[in-house]
Formats: sequence, C-alpha cells, structure tokens
Amino acid sequence: MQGIVLALSACLVLALITKKLSLPSIPFYIIAGLLLGQSGLSLVGTDEVSLFLTHLGLLFLLFFLGLEIKPGRIWSNQKAILKSGLLDLHINVLIGFLAAFALGFSLYDALIIAAAFFISSTAMAVTSLVENHKLLMREAETVVWLMVFEDIVVILLLAFIGTSSEHPLVVLAKILAVLAVILAITRFGKEYIISVLKRDDELPVLLTFSAVLGIAGLAAAWGIPESFMVIAFGTILGTIDPISFEIHSRPFKDVFLVVFFVFFGITTDLFASGVSWIAIIGISILAVLSKLASGLAIGKYIHGSRDSGVEIWSNTTGRGEFSIAIAALYGSTVVSSTVAAMVIVTSILGSFAAKYSKNLQNYLIRPVSKEYLDVPDEGCVGRER
Amino acid sequence: MIDMALRSINLPGIGTKYELETDKKDLVAIFFLKNGNIQMYTLPHDSPTPSVAELTSGEARRLGAILSGAIMEADQESVEIAFSALSDLRISVHTYVMGKHCAGKSLEDLQIRARTGATIIAVSRGDKNVINPPPAFVFEEGDTVVAIGEADQLRAFEQVLLVT
Repeated sequence: MQGIVLALSACLVLALITKKLSLPSIPFYIIAGLLLGQSGLSLVGTDEVSLFLTHLGLLFLLFFLGLEIKPGRIWSNQKAILKSGLLDLHINVLIGFLAAFALGFSLYDALIIAAAFFISSTAMAVTSLVENHKLLMREAETVVWLMVFEDIVVILLLAFIGTSSEHPLVVLAKILAVLAVILAITRFGKEYIISVLKRDDELPVLLTFSAVLGIAGLAAAWGIPESFMVIAFGTILGTIDPISFEIHSRPFKDVFLVVFFVFFGITTDLFASGVSWIAIIGISILAVLSKLASGLAIGKYIHGSRDSGVEIWSNTTGRGEFSIAIAALYGSTVVSSTVAAMVIVTSILGSFAAKYSKNLQNYLIRPVSKEYLDVPDEGCVGRER
Repeated sequence: MIDMALRSINLPGIGTKYELETDKKDLVAIFFLKNGNIQMYTLPHDSPTPSVAELTSGEARRLGAILSGAIMEADQESVEIAFSALSDLRISVHTYVMGKHCAGKSLEDLQIRARTGATIIAVSRGDKNVINPPPAFVFEEGDTVVAIGEADQLRAFEQVLLVT
C-alpha cells in the first residue's frame, strides 16, 4: 500500500512538471517506476493490490480504445486508412522483427517486439497535433487515419494472441456467443441503459465500472481473450452513448493507467540476466529510424513530399500505451526491458521532433537532396482539395 | 445562401473539423476538440503558415455572436443586443424578481406593455419556466421575469415594479 502511495506521489509530481513543459508524461512514469523498482532503488515492489490496480489500468485503456472505434466510420474511410496503414505496417513490422531476431531474441519474443515496435502511441500523436497547433496541416488527417489503422491492428493482435489452450474454433464460438448476448442486451435495453446513464447519482459510474470488470471476469471464467472482449464491449457500448461512457470511465482510466505505467517500470528489471544493452539500444534507435522510413514512404506516396514524411514521422515516432500493454501482456523480462527503453527514447525524442519538425525538415532532407532547394516551398497545409 | 465551400469531417480521437474557404480563397478551419476546447485556424491565401487561436466554448459562443451580427454586452442579469444591420437597433433583455406588490396580479391587471412599452417574454418560478405567459398569468412573489425592450422602456418597467 505504501509502495503504491509513493509511486503515485512521484507520478503526480512528474505529471505537474511534464504538463508544464508540454512533454509526454508516459515515459516519465516509466522512468519513475524504473528508479523506484527492481532496476533502481527497490523501494517499491508489487503486491496483490498493485497487480489488481495495474490490471484495471489495462482494462480501462482497452475499454477506451473500444469506445473510440466506430466501425461505420472506419468502413467509409477504408481507403484513407489502408493507404498509409499498410505501408506503415509492412515497413515497421519487418524492420522490428528482423532487428529483434538478429539481435538474438527468440522467435516469439521477436514477434512481440515487432508488434510493440510497430504500434505508435495514439495518445501522443493526438496530443502532439493539438498542442503544437498542427491540425490544419494536410498531414494531420493522414496521421489520424494511421492511428486508426494501428488501433485496429492492436485489436486483431489481442484477439489472436490468446493464452487459451482450447481449440481456436471453440474459443471463437464462445466469443461469438458472448458478443451476441451483449448485442442483444444493448439493443433491447438501449433506452433503459441511456436512462440510467443520465442519472446524476452514483449509478452511471457504478454501471460503467462494473460492466467493464464484469466482462473481463466473464472472459477469464470462460477462457476467452479478455483484452479483445473488453475492446469489443467498448465498441458495442459506443453505439449507445459513447460520450457518457467516456465521461464515467475516464477517471478510472486516468488513475489506473498511471498505476499501470509506473508499475510496468517497477516490475521491469533492466539488469536481469539475459538483458542485452546492445539489443536495447539497437531497438530504440531502429524504432526511431524505422518510423522515419515509413513516414517518408507515406509522405511521398500520399502527399508527394518528403517534408510531409518528416512531419508524419515526428508525430508518430513516439511509442507508448499500446506497446507497453503488449509487452505487459505477452512479454518476457527481456522484452519488457527492451520495450520500456524503446518507449522512453522514442516518446521523448518524438515530442521534441514534433515541436521542431519545421527545422528538422530542413536538416533531415535538404542536405541529401539538392533539388529540393530549388523548389519553392508550397507550404505544408492542405490546399489541394 | 450557402455558396461557400464548407466541409466538415470527423477526426477520430481529435474531434470535428469544419473548414470554410472564402471567396478570396482564405481558409478558416474550426476544430471542436474532444476536451471541449475549440481551435480556430486562419490561413491567408498568400501565406503558407496559419495562425491559431484556442478558445473555450464560452469564448467561442461570444465570437459566434459577434460574427453573426448580434453584439451582446452581458452584465450579470441583462444583455443588450445590437443589430448592426438594422440601423443600429439595440434591444435589451433584463431579468427582474417580482416583489410583494405584484403578487396575485395577472399580466392583464398590470398592463405592463401599455404602460411601459416593455414586454415580459418569460417567467421562471422555482424550476419551471413559462415562455410567453398568457394575459391571465398570475404572478407570485419571487417569480423571476425576463423583460425585453429598449433601455428607456425597461427603466419605466422597473418603476412600475417598485410603485405598483
């Protein structure tokens, strides 16, 4: 208990500082965890309470992801989503996997690293666009659809990397049965649920909280992938009243997710046997370069400009919540250390890159391609429509 | 009436974007963010760099009122609306609390419009509101009324409330 209080107080101070300096807070929560935990002073360890709270953090992160997913909207924008998303997927998963495998990770670990390597932080990308006043840039929409694509990949990953020992078809049948029941309840009980959500007593919050925990408990009891069920549940509830559910679950998400991040740092042992610093540094550097490669490819392909590529890279290079979620769910000690370092390096570097992307465009591109010097700058704002 | 190019798009995770291109090819884009704030970008036709203002929803409403031609000067309980297009027509809306004098009297008894020129457009009693109360409407002490009229008419109305 004291450990959690200590960790949370450290995070509170860090949150105040990082918000003031408009830096991403996730890497600093992890650094705080590393300093407090096994890799550092060993002041805080895990116990049953902290495990439960971190579990809640993960559940609410996934529930929120589900609420944001609007199947109809994705369907009608599939062209925009696929165009950039597939480039992003192929380049980064390939580089991430080959690098991890070459650096000595096992096949399974290399796959998990490739997934964490590929998934940018949606939260950081959105914050970066809003806080750096970049919403009007033509690249902003590309970045947004890119994040939607990556979110879908996360969901598919969580659906398929199950821990169940049962036959996949049995699991699938169970998933479909549970989804059918949820759909039926939300369909016929829609009016009633909306009326409960509109109340101003404790009922809406209680409903949201217990529904999320309930579906997770049900998934665990039935042996179906919990993460996937929570996301799907969020998506279905999103069809009723996404804003109410968001409002009522946000406080849980905000607090428990911080616990999740800091305890990810606390449980990560950078000095465990088998952790190779060469691998950690190599993956972190490649994570930055690989998103630069995919950013440049997407910029060239969609906007016909490498400046756009640098802009896309600067907003999407930060890895964050989903990379950590994947490492926490499926990663070994070695994978967790590597992902922790990668998140810290890419997210801090990304936040500065996004702030100074205009200067970076000159620095990164002009020296390599002289012809760009003669081309008048047409600006990076969407006018072509 | 809508001949300018206006498009809106929903950006997942960010909010809704409205974009308007003016006749002179300047661009104005408004983003309603999920945190409730609003970012307004303006991009002149001859410049590659936009300027940005971030507004709270209250500030955005005020800006909207100014742009739509009604300048509102809000103090605690009255607003003055000026229609610049209607030879500077100024209308005030004011709230008053009915005192003992008026309790038990109907709108017809008080003859407010005939005597002062001001019009009572709404009455608020407890948590109920009555819009456009009928002549037979009887006031109670403590009713809050919303009266509309020119500044002089409202001053006359104030006298009636005090004297009646």
